[in-house]
Amino acid sequence: MTKLNWIKVGIFFFVFLFLIFSCVLEDRMVVYALKNVRDYCYQIEMATEVNDGIVNGQVASLVDNLEYSWKRDEEKLCFLVDHKAMEQLGIEIVRLKTYIDEEEPIEFFTSLEIIKNYVETFQHFMGSSYKNFL
Amino acid sequence: MDMLTIFFRSAFIYIIVLFLYRLMGKRQIGEMQPFELVLTQIIADLATIPMSEISVPVLHGVVPVLCLVLLHFFLTFLSSKSTKFAKFFNGKPIIVINPNGIDNVALKNLDMSIDDVFEALREAGFFSVEQVQYAIMETNGKLSVLPKSDFAPLTASDMKIENEESQIPVTLICEGKIMKENLSVLDVSREDVLDFLKKRKIKSVKNVLLLTIDRSGQVFLQKYKQKYETFKLTEGEIYDKIKLD
Repeated sequence: MTKLNWIKVGIFFFVFLFLIFSCVLEDRMVVYALKNVRDYCYQIEMATEVNDGIVNGQVASLVDNLEYSWKRDEEKLCFLVDHKAMEQLGIEIVRLKTYIDEEEPIEFFTSLEIIKNYVETFQHFMGSSYKNFL
Repeated sequence: MDMLTIFFRSAFIYIIVLFLYRLMGKRQIGEMQPFELVLTQIIADLATIPMSEISVPVLHGVVPVLCLVLLHFFLTFLSSKSTKFAKFFNGKPIIVINPNGIDNVALKNLDMSIDDVFEALREAGFFSVEQVQYAIMETNGKLSVLPKSDFAPLTASDMKIENEESQIPVTLICEGKIMKENLSVLDVSREDVLDFLKKRKIKSVKNVLLLTIDRSGQVFLQKYKQKYETFKLTEGEIYDKIKLD
């Protein structure tokens, strides 16, 4: 083999490894970020049950944590996932805070359900499965 | 801010696509095999998506393009190793005109009409089927024509004339600049070239548009805004330095 062929083989393997790395990284990061959001959602739900309402310090603190956690993860996901596909999640998290301030429990739980539904279905729509492959 | 992002994204993707095309080879569109043409069109489409859509990560454009290039490498490798595989992917050359005339069955297999064949023949410089012994449709869509001996161009060997072998001219000066990498081809130095110009009463390299010399000593010299001149090198100047054949 000539020197040029060896370089091509080198690039071939580099590209191959890069593609595997990108795919695995995206999958892991999305799963990690959505798991965080889901965990916070269940914690918020439990906090509303324990405190019998949405207007209390614990729920507000958990929603703040959820927002912070999502913003941190979203920044990293921007390199890997379509921005528009994640837009809804950020909007609903901001709405949660507004509903606490305005004391609107029905809208609050609706938003919480939307977030939970988004997290559950995102993997279904975007994840690696034979249905999406086809 | 959007415009700036688009600017940098476009530049980045352009560099990547350019690099990948260079890696795949230098074939022109007309010389491409079917799978290479398909690849080129898909890559061009994929590359434009992250260029204009800011919400789409650059990686969403780069990953499919790299995936296709990887497949291209793989198919090219398999084609080079297996003739059957190469035939399956590239097709095989088909004779459309033989000594009996036009092969109608071959034309039908190629989905070609007689008009298409005539057009290809005219492009090849033949205006009648009578002039053609064989015409072969190549896998890249070009028609190769072998003319009948009566219509083949006369060559020096037909006339039994002995010719000097053709030489490739080496460019020593191009657009006022000495081509350093070409000096070693003729075994001459920069000083030799400058000396050559001095003897020709050319004050500076910058005055020369093009200077080529081949191994037989044939010179092509054109100064800016002047007609070119060609001549054979005479002994004594750069002639002594060049490795002449």
